[in-house]
Amino acid sequence: MPTRPPRNRTQPTPLAPEVLEDALEHLVRGIVSHPDDVAVASHPGRRGPTLELRVHPDDLGKVIGRSGRTARALRTVIGALGGPGARVEVIDGSGS
Amino acid sequence: METSVPTSGESLEEPAGERTKRLEQEGELAADYLESFLDAIDADGDLDMAVEGDRAVVSIVGADLRQLIGRQGVVLEALQELTRLAVARQTGERSRLILDIGGYRARRRRELSELGRKAAARARQTGEAVRLEPMSAFERKIVHDAVASEGLRSESEGVEPDRRVVVLPPEPTDVALVDDPYL
Repeated sequence: MPTRPPRNRTQPTPLAPEVLEDALEHLVRGIVSHPDDVAVASHPGRRGPTLELRVHPDDLGKVIGRSGRTARALRTVIGALGGPGARVEVIDGSGS
Repeated sequence: METSVPTSGESLEEPAGERTKRLEQEGELAADYLESFLDAIDADGDLDMAVEGDRAVVSIVGADLRQLIGRQGVVLEALQELTRLAVARQTGERSRLILDIGGYRARRRRELSELGRKAAARARQTGEAVRLEPMSAFERKIVHDAVASEGLRSESEGVEPDRRVVVLPPEPTDVALVDDPYL
């Protein structure tokens, strides 16, 4: 059976996890008070990479936002670039 | 003694010249933020800055950036949200900046106006309310405006992100009811 040419609607190729890490770091550094304390690490998962985001404890509220609005925006952008399985987890390290 | 009266549409505290300068600075800060993001994902695209009315408008143009627009512009809205926060961090003031990508907003505005006009025509024809698909607040505003320009009323119902426009049919005129001799 002949393969069809790709349609306009096909999903774009997901970006590599290192590129996603870099993109997330840039997006977050710009909105926090302590940009040098932003750290992103990724773990491969079955459906896509999980990006762990760490920020200065004072910036935690900023990256989560009112009713989680900012965290949702970060997830939307990273999901669009990394494929539907790409996830962003905000790590609360303030208590440990 | 002369008193100066501010012209309409101009803020009491801020003269137009200063406002333009502030909005231009917002555009510059937004462009910095977006440029480093585009570099990080190795995407092409140029940044255009403009001031339209009381808002800074930054557009990413010149590349296929459908990925950054997303279905019904959800990714674009998310990027706009983050860009506003980045600008606000630098200026200390809330930003109402508009981000556009590849002319999406202008295109979508035309589509939504058309949708609003068609829904109004249907509500008028059938005498029944017309419920539209869920949309963002920005998109609903465009539809509401188009419906109003057709002389009908509309409202929003539901909870975000499933909030949608409902176009109401024309109300029977009260005058006709009162004057009806058979009532």
